[in-house]
Amino acid sequence: MIKVLSILIIILALVMAVVPVYTDCLSQGRALTLENGKTVPMKCHWTGIAEIGAALPVGLAGIFMLRTRRKETARTIGIMGMAGGALAILFPTVLIGVCSNPDMLCNMVMRPTLILAGTLAIAASLVIFFRAPSLEDAA
Amino acid sequence: MSLFQLAWKNISGNAFRSWVVAICALIVAAFALFITIVLRGAETSLQLASDRLGADIIVVPTGAEAKVEGALLMGIPAKFWMPSANLEKLAAIPGVENVSPQVYLETLTGASCCSVPSMFMIAYDPLTDFTIRPWLKQELGEGLDLGEVVGGSYISATEGKQNIRIYGYLVTLKGNLEPTGTGLDQSMFFTLDTARDIARISQTQAETVLSIPADQVSAALIKVEPGGDPHRVAIQILQKIPDVTPIESASLFQSSRKQLASLLQTILSMMGLTWALSVVLIGLVFSMAANERRRELGVIRALGATRAYISQSLLAEAGILALCGGAVGIALAVLAVFLFRRLIIVSFGIPFLLPSPGSLVLQISIGLFLACFSVCLAALFPAIKISRQDPAVAMRE
Repeated sequence: MIKVLSILIIILALVMAVVPVYTDCLSQGRALTLENGKTVPMKCHWTGIAEIGAALPVGLAGIFMLRTRRKETARTIGIMGMAGGALAILFPTVLIGVCSNPDMLCNMVMRPTLILAGTLAIAASLVIFFRAPSLEDAA
Repeated sequence: MSLFQLAWKNISGNAFRSWVVAICALIVAAFALFITIVLRGAETSLQLASDRLGADIIVVPTGAEAKVEGALLMGIPAKFWMPSANLEKLAAIPGVENVSPQVYLETLTGASCCSVPSMFMIAYDPLTDFTIRPWLKQELGEGLDLGEVVGGSYISATEGKQNIRIYGYLVTLKGNLEPTGTGLDQSMFFTLDTARDIARISQTQAETVLSIPADQVSAALIKVEPGGDPHRVAIQILQKIPDVTPIESASLFQSSRKQLASLLQTILSMMGLTWALSVVLIGLVFSMAANERRRELGVIRALGATRAYISQSLLAEAGILALCGGAVGIALAVLAVFLFRRLIIVSFGIPFLLPSPGSLVLQISIGLFLACFSVCLAALFPAIKISRQDPAVAMRE
């Protein structure tokens, strides 16, 4: 079971890192134009960048989880996965956010995808945390 | 060893088989619940929008029927005009109790004088209105004064705590209405006086002037006398007034209702196919499992277990897997519908409203029952077959 969940966590980390790249407003050719004529990306773009930072520990947690045979290590990795999943949810909702228009792609696709992926990563890490003793039993 | 313990031992003893069955249950439960919530949500939303409109007949200029549906249902701004002289003609038709005009407007896109782009706005006449005022009174306890507006559930203030800039005019957002899941949630309502005041200010403050042609209205809402037949009144309107189309409230949103019906047909056939495939797959998995465990089950029978105990142990295993898989599937479906509701509305082109907690609990129970029923049905035949086997023959093989 732990192996299946580890693979799921790796897939979720990939989703967290890749989906924002193709669903932020910049990818749709939208940017803010300043008074001096320069264009700057909207905040959903920065959420997407931050998500790469959140996806990295989640992905690493999944990879390490596939290799480890020790209960304590598995538990620590589980906590790391939960923290990463929580960050993946917090970036588009509280910490940075996405654009305010509900019809923008970042609001319709990016934000819900990241919340769903983060929730699943937390749930999978939680199961790993509580099932960690079974690793040593199996060994 | 109890029945549950035996079933649990078998589940943990063959992880691959258990995963396959649980995932099938997950797919059946998630698919069924997702579809039910979306379609029921669309139906509720259409009904709510129709009820909120409150008119028996809406009269619009000929050719604007689709536009008015798109505006009320999806919030796509629409502008069309007909002579306000039609209002008197409509009032004179036998069976008509009340006629009230409405003017449909939209904000500018990409203009600094409008802080919200492409918003559908409805201006009503407070003297004759019988559709908007009742729910304004219900929500706010009073009507709207000059410069005051009320928004759908998605509308929020953009300038300060209470104001929104429209054509350079700062209107005061008095409150928001309950969500309907339709375009009314993205629309704004104000009186005709406010609309004319915005048009006046827009001449000096806006990038483009808001023009409301004199003696023109967008639509007329009609209330039929108690006991009157809206269909008969609609026919008379068609016969007596040129260049207008009466839309009866029962026929409103017909295109969406038709779209929903065809969507339901496609989805039901897809769901039937998924359900049948899942039942066949689970049946095969349980047949293989029962064959693999012939000797083990033969020994259990030789030790004194009854036929019923053997079949019940397989069904208990199926039930546990169905419950676990079904519960995860249901949680995923609810989460997906909640998070992706806006995408569902835009992709399917249908209105959608989240179900009430009571209705959601009922739908969840049905989804879980469907998952358990499917898995137990698939496991029933192998369970009966293996329980009827002679223990001596089973142990020798």
